[in-house]
Amino acid sequence: MNTSNMPLEKGTSLAQDAFRRLRKNKMAVFGLFVLVFFIVIALTTPWLAPYTYDGQNLELGAVPPSAQHWLGTDTLGRDQLTRIMYGSRVSLMVGFIATAVALLIGVLWGATAGFLGGRVDAIMMRLVDVLYALPFTIFIVLLTVIFGSSMLLLFLAIGAVEWLTMARIVRGQVLTIKQQEFVEAAISMGLSPWQIITRHLIPNVIGPIIVYTTLTIPSVILLESFLSFLGLGIQPPQSSWGSLISGGVETMEEYPWLLIFPGLALSITLFSLNFLGDGLRDALDPRASKD
Amino acid sequence: MLSVKNLRVVFNTRNGTTVAVDDLSFELNAGEVVAIVGESGSGKSVACYSLLGLIPMPPGRIEGGAAEFYGKDLLPMSEPELRCVRGNKIAMIFQDPMTSLNPYMRVADQLIETIRQHKSMSKQDAHQKAIQALLEVGIRDAEARINDYPHQFSGGMRQRVMIAMALIAEPELLIADEPTTALDVTVQAQILALIKNLQVTRKLAVIFITHDLGVAAQMADHVLVMEKGILVEQGTTENIFKHPQHAYTRKLLSAVLTTTKPTPSLAQHTEPPFLHIAHLNTWFTQYGGAFIKRVVSRIKGVDDISLTIQRGEIVGIVGESGSGKSTLGRSIMRLVDTQSGEILLEGKNLLALSETDLKKSRRDFQMIFQDPYASLNPRMTVFDTLAEPLLVHGLATPQTVVEQVNELMDDVGLDRRFIRKYPHEFSGGQRQRIAIARAVALKPKLIIADEPVSALDVTIRAQILTLLLQLTQKHQLTMLFISHDMSVVRYLCDRVLVMQKGKLVEQGATEDLFTNPKEAYTQQLLAAIPKL
Repeated sequence: MNTSNMPLEKGTSLAQDAFRRLRKNKMAVFGLFVLVFFIVIALTTPWLAPYTYDGQNLELGAVPPSAQHWLGTDTLGRDQLTRIMYGSRVSLMVGFIATAVALLIGVLWGATAGFLGGRVDAIMMRLVDVLYALPFTIFIVLLTVIFGSSMLLLFLAIGAVEWLTMARIVRGQVLTIKQQEFVEAAISMGLSPWQIITRHLIPNVIGPIIVYTTLTIPSVILLESFLSFLGLGIQPPQSSWGSLISGGVETMEEYPWLLIFPGLALSITLFSLNFLGDGLRDALDPRASKD
Repeated sequence: MLSVKNLRVVFNTRNGTTVAVDDLSFELNAGEVVAIVGESGSGKSVACYSLLGLIPMPPGRIEGGAAEFYGKDLLPMSEPELRCVRGNKIAMIFQDPMTSLNPYMRVADQLIETIRQHKSMSKQDAHQKAIQALLEVGIRDAEARINDYPHQFSGGMRQRVMIAMALIAEPELLIADEPTTALDVTVQAQILALIKNLQVTRKLAVIFITHDLGVAAQMADHVLVMEKGILVEQGTTENIFKHPQHAYTRKLLSAVLTTTKPTPSLAQHTEPPFLHIAHLNTWFTQYGGAFIKRVVSRIKGVDDISLTIQRGEIVGIVGESGSGKSTLGRSIMRLVDTQSGEILLEGKNLLALSETDLKKSRRDFQMIFQDPYASLNPRMTVFDTLAEPLLVHGLATPQTVVEQVNELMDDVGLDRRFIRKYPHEFSGGQRQRIAIARAVALKPKLIIADEPVSALDVTIRAQILTLLLQLTQKHQLTMLFISHDMSVVRYLCDRVLVMQKGKLVEQGATEDLFTNPKEAYTQQLLAAIPKL
């Protein structure tokens, strides 16, 4: 084999290898497929949806699934399928973007604190502690009072709390990994702290990061309904999975389908995320697979 | 007493079935010492562990054979039956006394638990017996120390506790798996003497698993040589060492370094001296206190050391663990903070450099680490690992880097085709070659090698040492070679520095120092080397 013709980009090899390995993992590919399917549905909802999300039919009331309304209707006679489809737009966007924000800040913050150590670490982590200690509900109410209600604020509020745990997890992992000789080798080669953090530390904490991320996305989706209840985020008649589920819980005994279907949508997303997360974690670890 | 017949153990792995032990037969009489020697992966540990049902099953599986202990076959025994044998009739001691004692239990509780597991005895009696056992393994003031936790003992003391625990139920067979590998040479000598002594007084049978032929020669009546799961040769210790029959045995014996350095010294006197260290102090300070920091203790890792090294010299630093030899190396590498002193590399004080200058200067001095399993980033391919320093220091462009990495692979004797593989796909020796390639990639002037062959098998060790000699000649390197292994230092180094408790106690040309050591500590170190 002539190695000199191989691509030269540095750092891409792990990503390429990971993708190749991911493709071999059937469950992960299935999870990815389902997620992509949901995202496509969410993006095309305005054209696909059979009804409008606020179109009421009070005479109809809550009916179980039927040929006209595949997933039934709610107490105001609104089509459940339509409302779940519209809800997915909000929920998936919140889930992915807010988590991505939390991920970015949390990982960099934690890795930097852990690697630099000493006083920098102490100051950075005390700041995390302070934010942790802030009562979340009061923080949200304050935000709403000052800025009013908007989607951007919703991301901000969720991002502001979710990155804290991520930072702690990553810092803890980095503390153990930076003891290893390959980090010392990197220091003695004259790499800068930034290069060491991005090239040597973060790739080696990817396992816990991915596991925590797959846990964060569903919790963020549910958090959104709580925030909407407090007045931040979406307002009725708009829908999200979180608000549909919390609404469904109230009428669980009379109209179970109002809880089952949005719950199912969230569960399927959650399962797919977990399968994909597991697959990604294995795929990104060169030791997990023999090739 | 013990008769193993046609033992075959296999492991099911993703790549198929690996035969760990194949058709192993040997016999052991009461009161006899057998050493099983071989390199890592030879199946010597697996064979002994499978006797006591201690291998993980699955993936492991005992495919055939018998192991009769006083006429009773151990292999088909159920778990409860085996528990009666383990500790009671057959005891084990392991390599790492740190991990084989429970850190959260007092030594007394661990010992008493073991006794009462096998013998019906009151707590008070068991406590007395435990103290007796500790005294027997040479732990003075055992009555006080029995209430200590494992971490309060030193490595050698911990291994003594392990031995006490193994022998407390008065077993008849002791399986010792590399019991001295993690210990310093002087401590090793004491532990070996202790085991030998106990073996004689208690008429114990011992299976001694070791990779160190010197240890085997010193301890055993019989020696079994294993290679890749197969017993290639067995015989009396004298026969094996004087008249080895099998090629592998001869290879093992020839890898034992008894010779002196094969090449002349390349030291050149320069002005200013190549490396000059003056009054270097590296202390580790422990802080305590909940709110206000206060100094709890200071450990002087490097205590006022001054030395000079010429260009082209290979200088060994020897000493026991805790002597500060690694700390000295890491101080020069600027991996630890130093308190005071000067480190002048070609007249430039490394301790006075700014962060930016330090980063640039780092290419002049590089380090080879002890553990090739920890010193390579597991998520980077060999190419990425070797290309990184070249690209960071601008010694290569994206166009030339592949060729340069290929040349490095040639330099350290690795196949160019392995360039896209990950570290875990290599053996320990190959990994250390990669680590060496990374260290020489920047064409440094000084290399600090911190126990680079300690984690390697003997035959691999010889290859790596030869490689280091070649590279120092080819690239005109100066090398500081930190090691606890005197024979390795004798083979490789022009000059030797002896360190004890952070201080330099003796230095001299290698042969002078080995044949005519002046300080008592040096003499002690030399006397502790197991002889073939």
